[in-house]
Amino acid sequence: MPVVELAGVTKAYESKIAVNNLSLSIDAGQMFGLLGPNGAGKTSSIRMIVGMTIPDSGSIRLFGKPFERKSLERIAYLPEERGLYKKMKVIDQLVFFGELHGISPSESKKRATDWAKRLEIDESLLKKTEELSKGMQQKIQFISCLLHDPGLIIMDEPFSGLDPINAVLLEKVLIELKNQGKAIVFSTHRMDQVEKLCDAICLIDQGRAVLAGKVREIKSSYPRDRVIVEFEGSAEFLKSPDIAEAENFSGHAQITLKPGADAQKLLHQAAAVANIYRFEMVEPSLEEIFIKTVGGKANA
Amino acid sequence: MRNILLVAKREFREQIRGRAFLLSTILLPVLFACVFGVGYLSSLTLGSGKHLAIASNDPALANNIKMRLQRKKESKTDVDIYAPVTAADRAHVDEQLKAKSLDGLLDVESTSTGIPTVTYTSPSAGDFITGGRLEASVDDALVKEKLTGSGVQPDQADALIKGVKVESFQMKKDGSRVKSNAIASFYKGYVMAILLSMTTIIYGLNVARSIIQEKTSRIFEVMLSIAKPGDLLAGKLIGVGAVGLTQILIWVFAGAAIIATPVAAAQMTGNFEVHFSWVEAVLFPVYFVLGYFLYSSLFAGLAATCETEQELQMFTPLAAVPVWLSFALIMVVINDSNSVWSIAASFFPPCAPIIMFLRMGSQVPPFWQFAVSIGLMILSIWAVLWFSARLYRIGILMYGKRATLPEIMRWIRYS
Repeated sequence: MPVVELAGVTKAYESKIAVNNLSLSIDAGQMFGLLGPNGAGKTSSIRMIVGMTIPDSGSIRLFGKPFERKSLERIAYLPEERGLYKKMKVIDQLVFFGELHGISPSESKKRATDWAKRLEIDESLLKKTEELSKGMQQKIQFISCLLHDPGLIIMDEPFSGLDPINAVLLEKVLIELKNQGKAIVFSTHRMDQVEKLCDAICLIDQGRAVLAGKVREIKSSYPRDRVIVEFEGSAEFLKSPDIAEAENFSGHAQITLKPGADAQKLLHQAAAVANIYRFEMVEPSLEEIFIKTVGGKANA
Repeated sequence: MRNILLVAKREFREQIRGRAFLLSTILLPVLFACVFGVGYLSSLTLGSGKHLAIASNDPALANNIKMRLQRKKESKTDVDIYAPVTAADRAHVDEQLKAKSLDGLLDVESTSTGIPTVTYTSPSAGDFITGGRLEASVDDALVKEKLTGSGVQPDQADALIKGVKVESFQMKKDGSRVKSNAIASFYKGYVMAILLSMTTIIYGLNVARSIIQEKTSRIFEVMLSIAKPGDLLAGKLIGVGAVGLTQILIWVFAGAAIIATPVAAAQMTGNFEVHFSWVEAVLFPVYFVLGYFLYSSLFAGLAATCETEQELQMFTPLAAVPVWLSFALIMVVINDSNSVWSIAASFFPPCAPIIMFLRMGSQVPPFWQFAVSIGLMILSIWAVLWFSARLYRIGILMYGKRATLPEIMRWIRYS
């Protein structure tokens, strides 16, 4: 049973169609990447999933049921812009969010303290939010949306503002949550993180889903036309008519082959003029697929 | 309902704990006391310490006027008499007026009709206090001159001119008469009206500022994934309103405690003798709550269309105009609290809280007028809330720029 199911969802604001006939499905225990250039319709889609706005047409099902506000009690939403009460003490703020999610103040406090210890931020609990750094506020925001043990976690740019150490810490927590069977949706501009963490993606452009499916399947559906060669000697082989594009960084070459070109033939040509230390045919990265799919206009 | 109460509780707790609440609770009454204290003390010396000259061809009348001008010791008025007046005297007085060493010249010229021609020349254009004193003194002096001319003894004439003091009483509904003090009653109504207008506006704007801050900090994005926009708005209005009510109750109890002390009780006599009825005690919080909800719900909707507090300032005249209008009607209301204008203004929802308390200063209006005024306020709160909730629902998620009027109209249609 999918945790989130969008079927033909459309949302328009006056003459602008923000989301156009979007369908997607997210399962429990799945990390799902919602990708797309700025203004593609990601935030509009998320806002409909969390009940902030209502679709003009199409349907949204959460936890196997048509959308109802009660389902929101099982959802966590971490928006792109961090929203915290700046003048409030961190612990008071976390207890307030816990209470809004129906947890008693004492239980909220206990859970907030446990999470704070785990995210190594327990010393900040008695401080005012405005006294914390952006990264620390990010962790507090993260805790605030996990207090009620949600089944669906939706995050917009969850890694922004985090240093590499804290980003790794957050990644570990997300993987743990996924392994507990929670569905995690995140929208990000960091393709390396999507590639590392996501099981499935949906690429939206101009409100439409232009690419969707499991990351592995998407990547393998693209031809392996990229070759990385590390060599010593002549770079003459880079002039081969089978090569569409080549970049040479002093013995490290990134090559794109022409359609139908024979990589083995290129390897022989290279080996004839240089010592080859590495000759690897690689899949296109998600970033390349992204750029190729949205026509290079993406700034995501 | 649970979310409304939680949001209200958070607003209440955060604002009560804040430094601004503590400061305003203490400073506002102190500021009031200072303003009224300074006003009262300065009124005691109004028109005193003047240096005047009387020029007349009737020395007896001039002396009589001088005596009356100096009758009250606190008036501290120096009066030079030039009677009979010469051309040289006039030139000298003109020089003094030009140099502002003389505050004014009263020219009294007897005529054949028996009623003198009186003119007053002063370097100041707006000295109406002295003008009033001069008129009264000239009138009294003339009457005394006529009376003594008709054979009345001077001391008898003085006694007649002195007149009688009218003691005023107010008839209560139960037929009992209580001593009334118009000035004290006026000030009581005036202070309560000001307090009411200030608190409703301050807390109404407080709601607006809070909405803009939450919009700027993007907290709405999180909150809306948990609670409905209507719950957030209702919680905020209730929470901030409860803060205002708490502040008023603190002032009422602190005021009652201060008045109850023997030192304060001894001072509360004469013009300071005020009585508060249970009607006022009940209606003050009622009108505060109604006024607060009217202004705060209006400002909540408008704040949702703004991006910054500077943009919100554009709308502050909406709160100020009803207050100006109410205080512009103050003389009408005091002179006749049951006139058509007074009644109509007390039915006009934006002015109702202020006008009602100004009216109550002189006379408690009939029950049906309270009922109509409160009923109309509730209706207008409902209408404003309807309008504001629509703006709020969409406005809090709109970022980037202040909404234009056509956009606002579209938001209202959409939601």
